[in-house]
Amino acid sequence: MSASSPYNAIVIGAGANGLVAAHYLARAGKRVLVVEQHQTPDLSADIGWVPPRIIRDLDLSDLRIEAPDPWITIPLAGGGTLELARDVARSAEAIRRVSPTDAAKWPDFCARMRALATVLERLYLVPPPDIETRDPRELARIAGLGFYVRRLGKQTVIDLARILPMSIAELLDDWFESDALKGALGALGIWHLKQGPRSGGTAFNFLHHHVGSPAGVFRPARSNITEVLARKSGVEIRRGAHATVVAKNGRAIGVVVDPGGESILAPVVVSSAPPRATLQPVAIELDPEFARAVGNIRARAIVARGTLAAEQQPAYWNLCIAPSLEYLERAYDDAKYGKDSAAPYVELQRTNGRLEVHVQYVPSGDHSDLVPRVARALDIEAQRLRLEPATESLYHEELTLDQILFMRPVPGWSRYRMPIEGLYLCGSGTHPGGGIPGAAGRNAAREIV
Amino acid sequence: MAKRYDVIIIGGGHNGLVTAAYLARAGKQVLVLERRPRVGGAAVTEEIFPGFKFSMFSYVVSLLRPEIIRDLDLPRHGLHILPLESTVTPMENGDYLAAWSDHDDTRRELYRHSPRDAEAYDEYGRLMHFMAQAVKPILGMVPPDPTSFAPGDLAALLRLGKHFRGLGAERLHALVKLMTMSSADFLDEWFETDVLKATKSASGIIGTFLGPRSPGTAYVLLHHYMGELDGVFRAWGFAKGGTGAVSESIASAARAFGAEIRCDAGVTKVLVRGERATGVVLEDGTEIPASTVVSSLDPRRTFLQLVDARHLPSEFVADITRFKFRGSSGKVNIALAGLPTFTCMPDGAGGKLHRGAVSISPSMEYVERAYDDAKYGEFSRRPYMDIVFPSVIDPGMAPPGKHVMSIFVQYAPYRLNGGWTDAKREAFGDAVVNTVESFAPGFKSLILHRQVITPVDIERITGLSEGNIFAGELALQQLFFLRPAPGWAKFATPLRGYYQAGSGTHPGGGIMGASGRLAALRILKDSA
Repeated sequence: MSASSPYNAIVIGAGANGLVAAHYLARAGKRVLVVEQHQTPDLSADIGWVPPRIIRDLDLSDLRIEAPDPWITIPLAGGGTLELARDVARSAEAIRRVSPTDAAKWPDFCARMRALATVLERLYLVPPPDIETRDPRELARIAGLGFYVRRLGKQTVIDLARILPMSIAELLDDWFESDALKGALGALGIWHLKQGPRSGGTAFNFLHHHVGSPAGVFRPARSNITEVLARKSGVEIRRGAHATVVAKNGRAIGVVVDPGGESILAPVVVSSAPPRATLQPVAIELDPEFARAVGNIRARAIVARGTLAAEQQPAYWNLCIAPSLEYLERAYDDAKYGKDSAAPYVELQRTNGRLEVHVQYVPSGDHSDLVPRVARALDIEAQRLRLEPATESLYHEELTLDQILFMRPVPGWSRYRMPIEGLYLCGSGTHPGGGIPGAAGRNAAREIV
Repeated sequence: MAKRYDVIIIGGGHNGLVTAAYLARAGKQVLVLERRPRVGGAAVTEEIFPGFKFSMFSYVVSLLRPEIIRDLDLPRHGLHILPLESTVTPMENGDYLAAWSDHDDTRRELYRHSPRDAEAYDEYGRLMHFMAQAVKPILGMVPPDPTSFAPGDLAALLRLGKHFRGLGAERLHALVKLMTMSSADFLDEWFETDVLKATKSASGIIGTFLGPRSPGTAYVLLHHYMGELDGVFRAWGFAKGGTGAVSESIASAARAFGAEIRCDAGVTKVLVRGERATGVVLEDGTEIPASTVVSSLDPRRTFLQLVDARHLPSEFVADITRFKFRGSSGKVNIALAGLPTFTCMPDGAGGKLHRGAVSISPSMEYVERAYDDAKYGEFSRRPYMDIVFPSVIDPGMAPPGKHVMSIFVQYAPYRLNGGWTDAKREAFGDAVVNTVESFAPGFKSLILHRQVITPVDIERITGLSEGNIFAGELALQQLFFLRPAPGWAKFATPLRGYYQAGSGTHPGGGIMGASGRLAALRILKDSA
């Protein structure tokens, strides 16, 4: 350990995961420095379930979690809209106008999905099961998880095995007939994913984004978690500085910051940056097999986000342009061949006085037609729209079945600890992944402590 | 008084015949009832045009379980496999990619495209070999029910967990990847040569309604890899006399053990009395009693057509109704005046080209776009094809100097926009022929006859629902303890005395016979 360093740990990134990790470490008595490359927090990233455990542990009493009602507004082909309320019965009433059979199935669907999301919630608040372990405590823990799942009943076990590998299209086609309903629900299955609704594993992605939401609400909640964490005292945050891990002889010794090139030493470095970006600068210290696995991480850009200048407060909270599963699938076809969707999936979310835009599919490449296309989908003037295509997966690593649990961020290294001593990951690229702000940060900090 | 049978087996496809042979071997009085004039189901050889014999549907062999070949002594009953030695993929730019029977030749050929891939090829081969070995014990295992608390199921689950952990971390991870990834993503981790990836990924889409970029296709890749190393067969091969000869050899073994096989005997209904199966009714109304009835047909026909739904739990009926078939492949059988010349290899590599397979999979995008057409209800305008010339290896299949050509084609969706008509079938045949012509100019002028088979034809002729060649999609959610339905993957059915033995049960698909064998073992255990 370096005697000259005032810090016990340096955390790279002041997003929700980095800050949660930092505060858990501080709570355990560590002196922590957080280094963040941007001057201001990215508020648009605060989407997803904040586990209540974190709110309690870190005493985030001023956390504000939005609960829009209706949670989604779906324009209908023949004019008018379908609005789904937080109340399952009221949603069913609304669905009845487009399809009585779908309305009849809605409560059962909501309950079944809720049961599965509960299983994921349980899995997400602990490190992923280490299936190679010989440690009796870990084996007991895995057995405990298995027993927990089986106690939920036969139907849930079967649903888990059947539904997780499925495509969201297949799942929704099993239940519903309304294109408008299936399109809006299906969009959650492809959220941040370079897959179409007919691709296997998109049903899992759908459930992943259902965690933390009440039955019948299929959009992750927004909160002000990053802002609340940034205000909270206990850790030092340095903004406007990009940190790179420095390692020597197989152990992390600190970071070097840019601009300035100053070295800051600490025995523990925790990175909430994408796994590949964190590990590539220290590749020389890595085993070639591990380096190859890092190189194979799929984290392809697929989303553009931005804002819409509103003339007046719109009548909806959340407007979804995904008229059918086929619309989404065709949007994906363009992306398969490296082009922005000609007719993209667009979602508008009203939050805190601004209108945020989420667009898919936007793979890396030429985006010259993107703004007019999105404007056309929304039927607005293009000048009101400001979009920023991502250059990499905003989840740091795509949430596909081969990149979750013990396979995330790379197979066999899912316990936040990296093969370089003193280096840890705690971002969306680790279990449980994006869309659950703070969960990875908490799991990582607990492993470190 | 008519002869009393212990077991009646509905369907004389290869699985039904395997079940029959094993049961007869154990001393049961067995009767096999086949609707068509000949046994084999989708593994039949027919003289479609005078003098030209075709493996009408299924055309290559490799997955047939070695224990079945041993137990039933199939070589003595006429089974003879001729190796299929190579694969050549013509490319759009006039070049080609070849995989030869000689490993060094293949490496040299790959080196020409990418030294890096030539290096990776061996390591990839070793991994796939190992993974296939690792999965194989599961093919011969009755799937345990993870929702059951019965000691037998728990013990089997534990054994399974131990087996997988025994693989070691690296291979366990590779297995997870193979079970969940798309073949395109999986191959991207290994290779850079597009045409190599396209050709390899093609075996991941066979029989599925998925494209190479769809997750789940890496498993089908592995499923097809299992045949390539069985020790018994060095590689994929033809049965001498066509795939019908495989069925005939199993039938012959079954008869030798005392089984009776009746053709032109379609079953319309399973007789049920006191909530148990008691026999069958034939198309002509004849009732044949038996204490055990086995259906080797696919799950839809086994449970929704042969049996009245009121004899089955409604939840089970719902599961079977949901079971996906979605046939996606067609077949074009062609009688040729001579062998076509491919632009990419005018000399045919001294005849090697025609002794092997020709894969029309020039690029990843080509195969993916073929899928896109099907996704929206059209047949592929430029389809993926696997072409073989069986008469080159087995001259008895065609008159002297003439040849037969078998083209497996994907995609041809069962649910075509507007439905399949005679005109659509011919248009599909034209798309196939024109695509071949573009790689082998002059091919069309060699055609003497052609037979075009769509998924609707497969369904009509063989009975396979929606023309799915695996009797149900090989998707992760339809495998192992979920095949064909959760809780009923152990060959028994909710109806007492009624069993299932077709490819719609674990492990399913290909001329493998594993389902038929496992079903027979289950029946013997239950009757012991």
